[in-house]
Amino acid sequence: MPTASSFQKYSRRRHPNPLTCTWFTLLTLSFVTALLTKAPVMPEIAAGGILLLALIKARVILARYLDLSQSPAWLRGFTIVLTGFSILIFALYLI
Amino acid sequence: MSDASLIDELPGELLMWVLIISELLVFGAGLVAFMSVRLTDPVGFAEAQSHLYRTGAALNTAVLVTSGYLAAQALHWRLAAQRRAARLALIGASALGIVFLIIKGTEYAGKAAQGITFETHPFFMFYYLLTGFHAAHVLAGVGILLLVAWRDDPRNIEAGAQFWHMVDLVWIMLFPVIYLLG
Repeated sequence: MPTASSFQKYSRRRHPNPLTCTWFTLLTLSFVTALLTKAPVMPEIAAGGILLLALIKARVILARYLDLSQSPAWLRGFTIVLTGFSILIFALYLI
Repeated sequence: MSDASLIDELPGELLMWVLIISELLVFGAGLVAFMSVRLTDPVGFAEAQSHLYRTGAALNTAVLVTSGYLAAQALHWRLAAQRRAARLALIGASALGIVFLIIKGTEYAGKAAQGITFETHPFFMFYYLLTGFHAAHVLAGVGILLLVAWRDDPRNIEAGAQFWHMVDLVWIMLFPVIYLLG
């Protein structure tokens, strides 16, 4: 539930707006992903890079949009599970 | 730290987190199944994937990310008592959700025009199931965002935005696996 402390946290924001920075970060990471699909590199390296970028984007969404940056234990737990998932997908890709 | 205090650390409603984790597990299992079946025919999967509209899917990533930004801003503005700005942001977020669905619909129409169906190849069975299930969540999310724009209690907006970020998160993981890992 949003609280008074949430209100203070948001109302204390100064430029640059952290949400805008997060949005820009996500767009930049998506653009880098698009570049990576066209890059003259081995498909395995491109795949690893694409999955790594997806993992970073997922963590950014969890931390900033879903506000888990305020709950480090949960953010760590989600990051561990998503990292394991990404490694599994990459391993299945390489087989 | 006790379990109770750990659970209390979660922002927003606990049930929303149960939903988020459940959805991530369902889509995660689907993507692992997709990659596992791919092992049986990697060449066929790569060939099938080449028929996908990657540019549209990449554009949809930007659309969803921007929509998520507006949903997050809506909560920020509502907590700052800027109700009109919050409502406009939520309406904008839901409008971008509709843009996502239009692009997705165009993609499906293109596949249909090529005669590509569920039965064309196992790749397309997973493609339609996973992207279609996700699109259903987008459709639900559009309705939820409009609902919380109307009933704009901060708790409602927070729950609606969390649902929308979950939809965004699922797409971020689904897009590279279905569209890019050839």
